[in-house]
Amino acid sequence: MNIRRKGAMRGILTLGSLDPAFMDAEKVDGGSTVLDLRPVEFVEPAGLCGLAALLELLISRSRLVGVRLSGHNVPAYLERMDFFRLFGHRIETNVDVAALEERRRGNPGTLQELINFHSEEEIPGIINRISEILTNKDYRLRERAGICATLSEICANAVEHGRSSFGAYAAVQAYQHIVSGGRERRGEEVLVAIADGGVGVRETLSRNPKYVEFTGTDNDALRHALQMGVSGTGEIGRGGGLAVVAQISARADGSLSLRSGSGRITYYGDRTNSRNVPNFPGTFVRVSLPRIAGSDQPAARTKKPKAEN
Amino acid sequence: MISLKTVRIKPVVEEGREIFDVTSGEAGGKLMVTRGTGRRVREVLGEVLEGLPSGGVLYVDTRGVELMDYSFADEALGILASRVAGGEYGDRRVVLVEEDRELLENIEASLRQRALAMIRVDEPGAAPEIVGEVPEHLVETLRTIYDAGSITNADLAAKLGLNHTAMNNRATRLVKLGLIHRHKNTAAPGGRQYSYEGIA
Repeated sequence: MNIRRKGAMRGILTLGSLDPAFMDAEKVDGGSTVLDLRPVEFVEPAGLCGLAALLELLISRSRLVGVRLSGHNVPAYLERMDFFRLFGHRIETNVDVAALEERRRGNPGTLQELINFHSEEEIPGIINRISEILTNKDYRLRERAGICATLSEICANAVEHGRSSFGAYAAVQAYQHIVSGGRERRGEEVLVAIADGGVGVRETLSRNPKYVEFTGTDNDALRHALQMGVSGTGEIGRGGGLAVVAQISARADGSLSLRSGSGRITYYGDRTNSRNVPNFPGTFVRVSLPRIAGSDQPAARTKKPKAEN
Repeated sequence: MISLKTVRIKPVVEEGREIFDVTSGEAGGKLMVTRGTGRRVREVLGEVLEGLPSGGVLYVDTRGVELMDYSFADEALGILASRVAGGEYGDRRVVLVEEDRELLENIEASLRQRALAMIRVDEPGAAPEIVGEVPEHLVETLRTIYDAGSITNADLAAKLGLNHTAMNNRATRLVKLGLIHRHKNTAAPGGRQYSYEGIA
């Protein structure tokens, strides 16, 4: 499998660039699989979590899974994000991981390395840790609360509704430039991504008979899931987490993207875009929280992201 | 949020009133996230509430909390308010001690989802306000009761220009929401008469 065919043209590993690989993975039945990531020059949290979910799928279906990488920056970034700690023993790779470990350096923008979790009990620990990092980096309380609440709510959804053999993966990265969107904007951006291998949003909401007319397609279900009080269980008070995350991202002038099944929606506060995409087996969430580089923040760079993670 | 009055009448914390700091204890902390954590805090709050005498008020102080997500807010405070309104704690009441800041939004959202409300004060003894949802036609009744400190059904009905039955029905709704106290005055001329007073 070679992801060169689609989005990775730009060299940026996002969830979308892994679509062809996800499609091919559905057909894998035993044997060896090689995932060719050599065109990748930049990995954002969404790509990292998507890669983790893809590897879980491939590992469950293949006798042996290989991952090919090129250059130094991407392997070094993956090492810093704990990718090899989680997958190094489960895949075969052309990367000299031991050498990367020896040269390992801190990554100033990493707020949460790739983390695998299975239960709600793990979430407070994750939040405590990222909150401490954000405090040390002089994030304002409001920003810290926004990032932590986003992560905690989405992690909670993943373990509650997205139960799967591998649980869920999350990663958070801060950039000193805006990564999301086509146009260049000054400022900084925090990206939060989470992927699970559960039944997906449509299936979860379908358990509640009153949502039958809102679950005709995956995109219908995703749009409906953003509404306050919409939940699979139908209990009063439930179904507020995702709506609150949508508000937090909109207030930060950012976005909330959801993928589940063949649906993909992105909520911007004043509008919601949706389109049909190749099947994603589970639920994936990406939240962009831009930061306006104020006087108390380091000067923003407008440089395009290029192999800098 | 709706301000109920600007001048405080009662002393701060009297007998039968207890302040519980949410950051304290085993389940407490500054970062309150997840339903599991909320459930543990609610259980502790429920125990403290049950230990109060009849008519007691528990001040739930969240001012030390830096972050509270919606799930925690709903599980700890939304469900607690729901159980108070459901009569699970008799005539014991809960007051939220929290300033007007972003953290309140999650509590507000949870209570609105549940069509419930709580009385909130910036600090014990400060002017009470409403967080959550109180039906529009009951807000004036609530405000009048808090302004008066304590008022009979007859006086309240006269002030608001309603008949006694309608007044009693409105006030009973506020009692059931856990937002006021009701006392029965059997010595009143003409027999039984209710009087109402604020809880904070």
